[in-house]
Amino acid sequence: MDPSDVLLLARAQFGLNIGFHILFPSLTIALGWILLYFRIRYARSGDPAWLATYKLWTKVFALSFAMGVVSGITMSFQFGTNWPGYMLRVGNIAGPLLAYEVLTAFFLEATFLGVMLFGMNRVPGWVHVFSAAMVAVGTTLSAFWILALNSWMHTPAGHAMDGSQIIAGEWLQVIFNPSFPYRFTHMLLASGLTASFVVAGLSAWRLLQAGEDASARKTLRTGLVLAAVLAPLQILAGDLHGLNTLEHQPAKIAAIEAIWKTGKGVPLVLFAVPDDQRRRNDFAVEIPNGASLILRHDPEAEVQGIEAFVPDAAPVAPVFFAFRVMVGMGVLMLLAAWTGAWATRRGMLPQRWMLWAFSGFTFAGWIATLAGWLVTEIGRQPWLVTGILRTRDAVGGASGAQLGASLTGYIITYTVMLIAYLVVLTHLAGKGASA
Amino acid sequence: MSLDLPIVFAALMGLAILMYVVLDGYDLGVGMLMPAADEREQDLMVASIGPFWDANETWLVLGVGILLVAFPAAHGLVLGALYLPVAAMLVGLMLRGVAFEFRVKAEGWHRGLWNWLFWFGSFLASFAQGLMLGRYVTGFHPGFGYYVFAMLVGASLCGGYVLLGATWLILKTEGALQKKALAWARWGLLWVALGVALVSLATPLVSTTVQAKWFDFPRTLALLLLPLATLAAGWRVWAATGRLKRGEREFDWMPLAATVAIFTLAFAGLAYSLFPYVVIDRMTIREAAAHPSALKFMLAGVIIVVPFLIAYTVFAYRVFRGKARAGLYE
Ligand code: HDD
Ligand code: HEM
Ligand code: HEM
Repeated sequence: MDPSDVLLLARAQFGLNIGFHILFPSLTIALGWILLYFRIRYARSGDPAWLATYKLWTKVFALSFAMGVVSGITMSFQFGTNWPGYMLRVGNIAGPLLAYEVLTAFFLEATFLGVMLFGMNRVPGWVHVFSAAMVAVGTTLSAFWILALNSWMHTPAGHAMDGSQIIAGEWLQVIFNPSFPYRFTHMLLASGLTASFVVAGLSAWRLLQAGEDASARKTLRTGLVLAAVLAPLQILAGDLHGLNTLEHQPAKIAAIEAIWKTGKGVPLVLFAVPDDQRRRNDFAVEIPNGASLILRHDPEAEVQGIEAFVPDAAPVAPVFFAFRVMVGMGVLMLLAAWTGAWATRRGMLPQRWMLWAFSGFTFAGWIATLAGWLVTEIGRQPWLVTGILRTRDAVGGASGAQLGASLTGYIITYTVMLIAYLVVLTHLAGKGASA
Repeated sequence: MSLDLPIVFAALMGLAILMYVVLDGYDLGVGMLMPAADEREQDLMVASIGPFWDANETWLVLGVGILLVAFPAAHGLVLGALYLPVAAMLVGLMLRGVAFEFRVKAEGWHRGLWNWLFWFGSFLASFAQGLMLGRYVTGFHPGFGYYVFAMLVGASLCGGYVLLGATWLILKTEGALQKKALAWARWGLLWVALGVALVSLATPLVSTTVQAKWFDFPRTLALLLLPLATLAAGWRVWAATGRLKRGEREFDWMPLAATVAIFTLAFAGLAYSLFPYVVIDRMTIREAAAHPSALKFMLAGVIIVVPFLIAYTVFAYRVFRGKARAGLYE
């Protein structure tokens, strides 16, 4: 098989796996904290409605967590099977960060999860609360380490050379590399939004069936208020993230904004159909001088276009569209959350059309999160580690047939799992907390 | 003081893999035994492993993690050569992991389906791991005989896990289910005995390196202790299950402990066969090792974190000590 086909298959397989995996962390990271909140409300009040709420959402959490764990275990094998060149080149940096994740995060969350799920009647209340807290800490720590690694791949820092080997010169700089604070914040907020819309959406679904459900009213409110707080923060964080990217990965910003030519007073492209072949935009709707203004805070400032980075430029169209999907979802989520927070004030029940709308938004966070990762990861191409390692140099010796066979296996397994997951989730939500 | 870092990490990796095999081994074994039990018993069996399986599987992630961080050159080689069995194992682990959750929430025929997938996933993962081991000890040589050998190891490892699972159930259950588990354990033991014998005979035939290490008088005499101790441990399992069956005085943890001893001894034999290679006849521990700066940074983490890890693992096993009770989220 042609080596470029093997590369394509390896990328498709990796993208599919990580895209499947991230669905569940993006829910569980924040849901862990939300559960802790429910658990503490119960511990404080002794109100059985909070207990029922906690138990229902624990089921959702356990299910999502299991999906996250099994797809994550697959991920940890993918580095070696699909990208052996990656570990050979930057293994001295990637390896320890992954190892710290296992040591500090995975064991913590996995062990306390057992106590949290099965130990409520076996340990004193505070130990149970503590276990729930450790699970939440574990998932967050896990995001910390993996995002440190991922950010380092985007904006490498703190490394040194020993002969031909890349090693860490300064570990703190490796971990707290330039894009890490932004990416970590943006991802945690993304998780918060994903979880709060899932909580609100499934509660709305329940209320459509049984409007008097006390627990679902509580959780609808919790989800909407949380989302109303997080949505504007996310837009702010995203904006700052973009400015950071402009500084460190200008090629990615050029792709995001579909700017082909370097120039002064560059317009902001609101919508267009970027044509990667001919390097131009069709059907463009633009704001004159807009890009110079938002990126450089000066309408006449110079902005670099794709031409400045060729041949090391990312494909423009997917980055451009994925970015607009993410931002579009961000704005819609803001509107939905603020409307919802207003409509549920002082214990009010929103109208049915609104409940339908919130149900429709249940997985809005997933769409925005996936779109965001596509922007980030495709925008980095052709680099795997910016300036250090190209994606095509990392691909492994697995044959096209092997990749094809395992890819088919994964697709079938994931489809079955995802369908079962969604069916069970809807079923659990429909029954509500009292069942 | 200067530590020999590659050797330290080889030992740590060995430890992580042994921990994984024993811990996930018992829950995979319980999964493979599911079809032999009735529905109420199945719930108890799953309840006995529910709080632990996730942490158990984390040892696999740690083992692969150390291979990745400490021996990056070997990591690509090993996982590349084992591409398909690894993929099969992962699919098995996935099906099994989610079946835990789905089987309790499903109703009617769905429940039967998830029970079946739970069994199938456990079996697929165990068999694939055995295949990997079989391919690994023969240095990934192609050839019909080598593949048959790998299948043999696959079947033996399934037997081994069934033995672990059954002895775990002896510890965690009582009454009729415990009685059944006693019988399962004895079947498992016979199966393991056959497997170990075949593998021990075949290994020197398929690898001259291994042969040279074991047939080297007078060292062979000292090495004889390993099979003898394994035999003694096997006998201990047989005798203890016998006594428990007849209702005589015996610790209910004895069969499990003796089984763990069998696994540890077999593992020690394997480690002896392979040392100093990570990939037999091809790559030594030293050749595959990562840069010392990476190893040092890791070691610091290991030293700080492992005491905590042990502490909360012990805590979790204490919380769930005693016989398993059915019922989730209680
Ligand atoms: C932003 C968060 C995030 C991202 C980008 C990733 N993961 Fe993940 N992963 C998690 C956040 C997470 C999580 C929140 O810790 C888990 C635990 C349960 C869950 O749903 O996700 C998880 C589980 C999980 C597990 C199982 C852990 C256990 O046994 O408890 C493994 C082995 C991995 N992941 C490995 C990876 C790898 C190799 C990734 C990158 C390519 C990766 N994850 C991306
Ligand atoms: C968590 C959400 C993530 C998503 C959805 C995601 C998505 C993707 C996608 C779609 C690609 C393919 C891009 C292309 O081929 O054009 C890719 C590539 C890659 N990403 Fe990520 N990624 C994520 C996180 C990570 C993390 C945390 C790491 C490492 C620590 C990582 C490492 C890689 C590697 C090694 C590649 C291979 C290069 C390639 O396929 O092009 N990714 N990712
Ligand atoms: C509405 C305003 C938003 C802006 C301006 C924004 C901006 C950005 C930018 C510039 C990137 C790429 C950063 C890089 O690769 O260097 C990014 C990535 C990402 N976005 Fe957004 N974003 C917004 C909303 C959202 C929302 C609502 C979500 C999810 C709920 C989200 C989730 C993500 C994720 C998961 C990534 C990939 C990880 C990362 O690089 O941080 N974003 N965002």
